Amino acid sequence: MSIEALGVTKKFGQFTALDNVDLEIPSGELVALLGPSGSGKTTLLRIIAGLEFADSGTIRFDGRDISDRTVRERQVGFVFQHYALFRHMTVFENIAFGLRVRPREHRPSREKIRAKVQELLKLIQLENLAQRYPSQLSGGQRQRVALARALAVEPSVLLLDEPFGALDAKVRQELRRWLRQLHDEIHITSLFVTHDQEEALELANRVVVMDHGRIEQVGAPDEVYNHPATPFVYNFLGNVNLFHGRVDGGKTYIHERETGHLVYVRPHLLDIARLPNGGDHFRARIKHINAAGPLVKVEAVTDWGALVHVEMPQDRFSTLHLLKDESVFVIPRDLKVFKVHEAER
Amino acid sequence: MARTITLRTTSRSAATSVAQGATLESPWVRWTLTSIAIVFLGLFLFMPLAVVFVSAFGKGIAAYFASFREPDALAAIRLTLLAAGIAVPMNLVFGVAAAWAIAKFEFIGKSLLITLIDLPFSVSPVVSGLVYVLIFGLQGLLGPWLRAHDIKIIFAVPGIVLATIFVTFPFVARELIPLIQAQGNDEEEAALTLGASGWQTFFRVTLPNVKWGLVYGVIICNARAMGEFGAVSVVSGHIRGLTNTMPLHIEILYNEYQFVPAFAVASLLALLALLTLVVKSVVEWKSQQDLKEPEEDWSVEPA
Amino acid sequence: MAITLKKRSILPGFGLTLGFTLSYLALIVLIPLSATFLKASTVTWTRFWQTISDPRAVASYRISFGASLIAALINLVFGLLVAWVLVRYTFPGKRLVDSLVDLPFALPTAVAGIALTTIYSSHGWVGRYLEPLGIKAAYSPLGIVIALTFIGLPFVVRTVQPVLEDLDKDVEEAASSLGANRLQIFTRVILPAILPAALTGFTMAFARAVGEYGSVVFISGNMPMRTEITPLLIITKLDQYDYAGATAIAVVMLVASFTLLLAINLLQKWSSRGQRGESREEAVIAGNPLEPSFVQ
Repeated sequence: MSIEALGVTKKFGQFTALDNVDLEIPSGELVALLGPSGSGKTTLLRIIAGLEFADSGTIRFDGRDISDRTVRERQVGFVFQHYALFRHMTVFENIAFGLRVRPREHRPSREKIRAKVQELLKLIQLENLAQRYPSQLSGGQRQRVALARALAVEPSVLLLDEPFGALDAKVRQELRRWLRQLHDEIHITSLFVTHDQEEALELANRVVVMDHGRIEQVGAPDEVYNHPATPFVYNFLGNVNLFHGRVDGGKTYIHERETGHLVYVRPHLLDIARLPNGGDHFRARIKHINAAGPLVKVEAVTDWGALVHVEMPQDRFSTLHLLKDESVFVIPRDLKVFKVHEAER
Repeated sequence: MARTITLRTTSRSAATSVAQGATLESPWVRWTLTSIAIVFLGLFLFMPLAVVFVSAFGKGIAAYFASFREPDALAAIRLTLLAAGIAVPMNLVFGVAAAWAIAKFEFIGKSLLITLIDLPFSVSPVVSGLVYVLIFGLQGLLGPWLRAHDIKIIFAVPGIVLATIFVTFPFVARELIPLIQAQGNDEEEAALTLGASGWQTFFRVTLPNVKWGLVYGVIICNARAMGEFGAVSVVSGHIRGLTNTMPLHIEILYNEYQFVPAFAVASLLALLALLTLVVKSVVEWKSQQDLKEPEEDWSVEPA
Repeated sequence: MAITLKKRSILPGFGLTLGFTLSYLALIVLIPLSATFLKASTVTWTRFWQTISDPRAVASYRISFGASLIAALINLVFGLLVAWVLVRYTFPGKRLVDSLVDLPFALPTAVAGIALTTIYSSHGWVGRYLEPLGIKAAYSPLGIVIALTFIGLPFVVRTVQPVLEDLDKDVEEAASSLGANRLQIFTRVILPAILPAALTGFTMAFARAVGEYGSVVFISGNMPMRTEITPLLIITKLDQYDYAGATAIAVVMLVASFTLLLAINLLQKWSSRGQRGESREEAVIAGNPLEPSFVQ
């Protein structure tokens, strides 16, 4: 089922959580709503679910306006940030809940409910924990139970609010992979909220970047990473070097006092050389080297006193034999220029 | 040699007592304070409780049980059960409704509403009884109309029930509001997304989560309903065998110097009070167990 | 556009539950209470003033408020002590003692009244030792204070206890590391922290004592001008079919109750402001429904 949001605005008192947001999610996609806290991503998710009401705008499922439908009528699967498992029910009862509360004429038989729950328990690999209470589960297990509970009612849309936010790094990695697999199997239109850019880029096949209640960019992960539409997206999706500069006759000049334009370069798109190889370059002196990890991180100071971060592979570093306090040339391989007013918006 | 060892031990224990001194008093201060507290509580709590049972059994077990064979005593017990049997369910329904409205929604005038619910706590029981006399009594606002239709509320059972409802009005609500508020809305929202109706959400999700608080609210409401004296005294008219509740019956017996029967009836109410305290302890223990979410349980390997 | 009286919520049942709450509240509490003021307004001002300033009435105020104040002060001191002992020390039977503190909430006042009278009358367990000393406990103002102390006992203990439990030992250790001794720590660090709660409990105990009737009538002896409390005076006037007089005195008591209720509310606001940092944190953990949900 496809989801559409048209001109959705939501205010909490003086605070504008969503400012005239338009968004279209095609059927079957796995989409990430990515943004810092306060960007409005959770509010948008809750409005789509029917847990919150927009001040204006419409929500459509498969082209049908469902703005006035209650959360119950929308039949979405919602996974809450802190899972919201029913603490007085066992894992089994939690998953069966959505089926058991159906009106008698639509309620599956006892055996059918049991079979369905067993099937889901198998899917989340917790068959032997069916009789446990939520408080007896680990965070990752609770997360999977919450997901199974949402899937039990066979929703046409799955909405997840910071699904891995409360888990530690290792469990998060595993669950991410597992959710990706799950989506490949059942192809349910899924929308998840996250503030972790790595998570969004790795898991989603489409990323929606939000800031201050507005959508900054929508696109495939490589698209938003490699071709950020706005300075905010560039900044939010990874480390960045920022220079004041100007564009003149198709050439970019970087200098401290030149204004009018801002130049963004990712650290791994900067190269270091001992000799200027004829192309664009500037001079800098190496201040600090951190060679731990797959990438070597070099900190250098430019002639005009600005700090530059450069990342390079280990083998490149070992061929260069860089030393601290050495003077070198920094060569940008790719850069992105934004007008200052764009960047300061 | 032995001397040095002794010295060392002393200085060591001195060091630990200095370290403890930051957050703990010296043993004799602790002992004195604890003793004073125990003596105070002994005088004001244990002794009154003990004297009820000692006096009730003052002339033996036979005399104690004979007290309950009096028709007036039985009538008083029946009336008390009736009044509580009506007042408690009514205040239970009210308390649950009020707790839902107050804990789950944001609206203007909410804190005023909470204060108003507390009102019967701060009104003297005698005044509580009086307000009903002023409405339903012979000289009251509705007095002439009630007399014309031959309805008796004051100096009759309805007045006793009304006064009991008034004085026990806030108990269930006050117990539930903070509990439901602390639960948050997450589980209710989850239930709604799963297709549960409002009633289903309430009965299957909200209520089970606060059941222990509800149990305590009902039991304390019941204890106060059965034990109410001042308000009921004003509206009852003290008609033996007809409008006397247990506390009023105790008063009459006591004033007639029938101490054993008076304390025998009192011992029933004292037992009820003790039961209430036991339930409270159990409820507190239970809800602590529920709150105590164990840390990540890694004894089970995440599959 | 109407003013929104309520934030829109997806949870159902607001109209039903609030409607029922308000109707029931009005029917059981508000309308009857306002009837009292209505009745009082039918009395002329001079007659009203005569009734409430009558020497016997004034004497009853003095006894009710005076004894309540003394009892509340006793409870303030001993309540702090009991709370301290229950939170900080361990001794055998502590859990039992802790749960028994609530006894005055649960024990019917009439039962407490006859029990205390039996203990403190001249042949009672305590009274027999007081009489040779020339102290008359039962049937005297002292008896009233004893009954009111019993009634108000749990309030200070129960308001101070949680605050004392939440008090960080770090702070005391910090004070100690800065050179403060135990007494200084108590007066400068602990006392300021528990003071708002203690005063709230004190005011609650006082308010409860002022209106108390059941436990007092047995032990006080009920002598006009000497041991007659105000609630008893109301009953006396009712027994004489002096409804106007009873109402006038009741209005005085109601005004006192409302003032005390207001004071308690303000004190509670004050004490919760003292710990706002912590309670806010708790609110976030518990997913406080009162907070707007845009916090991500």
